[in-house]
Formats: sequence, C-alpha cells, structure tokens
Amino acid sequence: MAENLDKSGGERRVQESMEITLRPIELSDADDFMVWAADDKVTRFCLWDTYTSKEQALNYIKNCAIPHPWLKVICIGNRAIGTISVTPGSGFDRCRAELGYVLSYKYWCKGIVTRAVKMVASTIFNEWPYLERLQAIVATDNEGSQRVLEKAGFQREGVLRKYSVIKGKTKDEVMFSLLSTDSFV
Amino acid sequence: MDPSRITLRGFRPTDADDLFSWAGDDRVTRSLRWKTLTSNQEALTFIKEVCMPHPWRRSICIDDRSIGFISVFPGSGDDRCRADIGYAIAVEFWGKGIASKAVEMAIPQVFRDFPEIVRLQAHVAVENKASQRVLEKTGFSKDGLLRKYSYLKGRIHDLIVYSILSPEIEVLPSHSC
Repeated sequence: MAENLDKSGGERRVQESMEITLRPIELSDADDFMVWAADDKVTRFCLWDTYTSKEQALNYIKNCAIPHPWLKVICIGNRAIGTISVTPGSGFDRCRAELGYVLSYKYWCKGIVTRAVKMVASTIFNEWPYLERLQAIVATDNEGSQRVLEKAGFQREGVLRKYSVIKGKTKDEVMFSLLSTDSFV
Repeated sequence: MDPSRITLRGFRPTDADDLFSWAGDDRVTRSLRWKTLTSNQEALTFIKEVCMPHPWRRSICIDDRSIGFISVFPGSGDDRCRADIGYAIAVEFWGKGIASKAVEMAIPQVFRDFPEIVRLQAHVAVENKASQRVLEKTGFSKDGLLRKYSYLKGRIHDLIVYSILSPEIEVLPSHSC
C-alpha cells in the first residue's frame, strides 16, 4: 500500500521535472514494457503486432532486447516508458545503423523521444567510430515521429514508396539520416 | 541495334569465357559489389556457385552470347514486399540502349516471378550518371539521395535510390495504403 502511494507520488514529482535517462533493459521491466507493447495506439506504426501476454514481453526482452547490440529503455525515475535502439549494418552496410524507438502513449507530445534521440546521437558516433550514418525510416502518416527526427537535426532524404508492409498494408516511408559530420541541433 | 538480338536467360557453364571478358574488366565491376574476376576458371566457378543458384540472375545476351547481367534480390520477412535490382554490361556495348532494353524486359518478369513484390528498387552511386539514365528511361522514379549509405570498392558512397512499383497495384482503384 505504502509502495503504491510512494510510486504515484514519485510519478507526480518526476513529471514536473521530466528528467529522462537511458539504461539497459532488464527482465523486471516486463510489466512496464507491456504498457506500450500491448497498446494498439503505439503499435499502429510498428512492424510488429501488439503484444498480448507478459510471456511474449519476457521472451522478447530475454532473446532480442538484452542481446541487442544497442538497445536501452527510456526511463523516468528509473521506470521504463519506452525503448530506443540502434541496429548496425554489416559488411558493405557497416557504415550505417538504423535508429528505432517506441514510447508509451501517455508520454507522447512532451518532447521525450526527441531528447532521447539527441542523447543517442551525441554518443553513438563516439561509441562506434566506424559509423558514418544513422538513419531512421518512418511511415509518411506518422507525423509525430517525423517531427522528432526533424527537431533532433536529422535530414529528410526522400519518400521510399511502398517500402514496408505494416499490419498488412504497404506503406510509403520517409528516410531520415544524421551523419557523423552533421552538427546536431 | 536490332532489339530482337537482346535476350535474357539463365547463365550456363559455357558462358565462362564471355563472363570473364566483361566481369574481368574493372571498368564494368567498378560500380558493383562483385570482385573483378581474374581467370576463366574463376568465371566458371562463379557461374556454378553464384550465378546459377541465385534467386534471380539473368545473362544479358546479344545473339545468345553473354555481355552482361541483371540480378534481382527479393527481401524476406518484413522486407518481402520489395526487391533490389542490379545490372552491368560489357564496355563495348555501353551507350547503345542495351541495358535499358534489358531492364525493360526484366521488370514484368520479376513482378510475375515474385508476386509478393510491390516495389523494385535500385541504388546507384551519385556519380554513375549512365546507370541513372537507364533507370529513368525504364520508368523508375527517384525517391531520394541517401548520404554515405554503403561501401563500394572500399569507399563510402552517397547513393540515389530509385523505385518502380508493381503494375497490378497501380491499376487497382484508389485505396488507402
């Protein structure tokens, strides 16, 4: 009981300051993970289907997220409210990596993902010196995500027509990139 | 050139000498991920181990002699709605519209052979103007310029991405996509 009160009081305090941190994901994040992964409003633009069980979340965290080359949870007060990841290319494509992110719906439109993206952009090129290009591919109807990337200093390169299949429909996608030589906003 | 002389077919072991004559030429392979071939024997091995088992690789022939290739790589999983096309021809046949004719012939075959594909795309180095013209002539649209996109022959290149969409999708009545 006291713990619940403490959490809700903690959330109120944190929302005022909105300090966000990035940290590695843990299995204990599974319940928080389900808050966004089980939400159709969030998964609407994702390639993957809405999660329906905590088992799925635990499986994903253990088998995909923890071994991922670069995946962090976005936290407020150490509680996960989303994830951000950088997936490197290999071979001929090793000069580039793809940025991905997802955020719990109630935290949308507060500039949180923009801040998280800027945090990643300011360190990833140092962590991976062979990386020259960070790119992000966003559906043309996902305006919120396009704004994130523009505010974070990414350059819009063009629209890739019918590039992906999302929830059974072919989608046009916008390609954005940030180079190691670009100056960040 | 009489266009009926230009044909597409699978590679055969007997193409080895002809393959070596153009794939052993740095000027041809400069724009490809292929390593320049160094012998007829290597060409024969390449035909047997790479060209023949390939998901979709055709020899561009004039009078049934190999003078180039077209390849299509379909995506898998989440990427299965799209495929990448690549091509090259021997230097002596540059500037005659042969690559354009070959690509034009290949497009309907590819969409027929891979019914899941709705997007055929090509990535071309910014400085490769001849290849850009081939794609523009054959109905591809330029989607954008991808900065420092990938390595080619040890150097990172800016690439222009072109696309052409499946005809079947385009003739459907307007729908949300």
